[in-house]
Amino acid sequence: MLFWPGFWQLHFWTIATQMKLKIAVFPAEWGSVPWCWGVKMAAPSELFCWKGGWGLPSVDPDSLIVLAYARFAGAPLKIHKISNPWRSPTGCLPALKTKDEGSFSQPNKIIIQLRKQKYNADYDLSAKEGADTLAFISLLQEMLMPALIYTLWVDPKNYVEVTRRWHADNISFPLNFFLPSRMQRQQLERVQLMRGNRALEAGEEAEKELNHDALECMNLLSQRLGSNKFFFGDSPSSLDAYVFGHLAPLLKIKLPSSSLQQHLKSLENLDSFCCNILSLYFPNESREGVGRPVSSTPEGSEFDNEPYKRRKQLLSVLVAVAAMLSYALLTGIVAIEHVPEEVPRGGRTSMRAVHEEEEE
Amino acid sequence: MSLAAEAFVSQMAAAEPWPENATLYQPLREHQILLSDCASSLAVQAYLRMCNLPVRVSCRANAEYMSPSGKVPFIHVGNQVVSELGPIVQFTKAKGHSLSDGLDDVQRAEMKAYMELVNNMLLTAELYIQWCDDTTSSEISRPRYSSPYSWPLNHILAYQKQWEVRRKMNAIGWAGKSLEQVYEDVSQCCQALSQRLGTQPYFFNKQPTELDALVFGHLFTILTTRLTSDELSEKIKSYSNLLSFCRRIEQTYFEEQDRDSQSGASHHSKGPSLI
Repeated sequence: MLFWPGFWQLHFWTIATQMKLKIAVFPAEWGSVPWCWGVKMAAPSELFCWKGGWGLPSVDPDSLIVLAYARFAGAPLKIHKISNPWRSPTGCLPALKTKDEGSFSQPNKIIIQLRKQKYNADYDLSAKEGADTLAFISLLQEMLMPALIYTLWVDPKNYVEVTRRWHADNISFPLNFFLPSRMQRQQLERVQLMRGNRALEAGEEAEKELNHDALECMNLLSQRLGSNKFFFGDSPSSLDAYVFGHLAPLLKIKLPSSSLQQHLKSLENLDSFCCNILSLYFPNESREGVGRPVSSTPEGSEFDNEPYKRRKQLLSVLVAVAAMLSYALLTGIVAIEHVPEEVPRGGRTSMRAVHEEEEE
Repeated sequence: MSLAAEAFVSQMAAAEPWPENATLYQPLREHQILLSDCASSLAVQAYLRMCNLPVRVSCRANAEYMSPSGKVPFIHVGNQVVSELGPIVQFTKAKGHSLSDGLDDVQRAEMKAYMELVNNMLLTAELYIQWCDDTTSSEISRPRYSSPYSWPLNHILAYQKQWEVRRKMNAIGWAGKSLEQVYEDVSQCCQALSQRLGTQPYFFNKQPTELDALVFGHLFTILTTRLTSDELSEKIKSYSNLLSFCRRIEQTYFEEQDRDSQSGASHHSKGPSLI
């Protein structure tokens, strides 16, 4: 009993629940350890967001907004980078779990909650700058967000080669079979409702319409930013977090077909704005992203999967052959007969033949 | 409108001058039109008056279905039909009338941003209050929306519209908000507008732009429409510069032009006024 693999884990788990300690689950980051538990200490709130990739701290725009704001405001949050939205306290990501006031879901609600906890990146802004912040955030949400969602989730080429592949690789079994397509349906519906156009489908016309607004929005942002480091003064504010959250995925995620991405790269001040924030506030992620280019490029991935592909092919062929053979044997199509030794039978038959001959 | 259609329309538009018989269509004023549609319609009327372009207002029960994009108001100019303020502004620009030519790039960016702020917060709040608040929806919105139709079509259409708006609120994350939070958002939006306006006569100093028309349309309609509670108009009344802004535009573009023109008052007047 003591050597049963799961015993000690079960033992500790029951003790922990008896002592009524809160157990927080840390999935993906802890790699191969199957049972992980930790004790949640008092005070810092917890932030659950999507995992990172391509040199970004997170691949999801909303999670990026919240992460950036938390860094700008210096909020001491315990950050859980997970890839399973069902494990978040509210069922979707990003989510902020506070000690006393429950959990919050959308970026603006999370930011309001952080402000209530006195982590305010907009403290130095004048009243007019605060008003401009609201206005530009609305501009982003109305003009850029639909195109961003379309590029990542609805455009067929991008969805199949990049988004769905990343989610299928990173979400744990068995959710990775149906969650990406469910998320895609939700995102398509979201774009349709945001634009008020029920008939919007993946296609060139929809893409052109959305991109037209998004390009205009990016040009306006570029004009407003000018040559400044951040939108208001020398320290970043919530508007910088929103702009970063929307533009960084477009810049960093390698998309096979995106005119938005090309246009954004041509706007140098927005490009350097995002790279600046990444290098100043997320140095670890950007270093990792640079150090591992092979695993993230689509060309490299073919070669990486090559040995596994061969092995999978071989295994599948062997399994198929074994299945066919066993079916054949069991149903009697093919039968293996044991042939007994030649000599005694030959003797007996020859004697019988002699006997028969004698009788005749 | 798709891009190709827009380009085609602009080309056609540039060819002809503004005709005398341009018409603006909206739902019936007395019994059918709702807060959000009235605000959009007033914004377009204000914009056209600011550009000095004459337009006749025609009220039809099926205006929503006549519109090319499904949204009111829409204008019928020559042989083109254009709906919503954004495309109408571009359409008049193609004809050579524009209010925002004198702005530099940064100001234009700010103007667009504030227009999106009004659309994102004020218009969405109006839709929320009309259709997601059960009291308002059952006492005001559904009866008004379905008033031209007979049973059972009135029930079907009203509930269909309510369902559509609630789905949209879900998609943009407003479904979880309470009424107090929505009022709070309206207050924030008005505060932002008030800060931006400051003590200037218009948002971009001396000349009005489409932003002024849009803000006027929404604020004036909220101030002069009776809902189940007065809280929405109270939020706006707390900002005195916004009140005087509305008054100024009403006096300059609606009352004076009505006095100047000799045509029937019922077409041009808006009914209630701020006095």
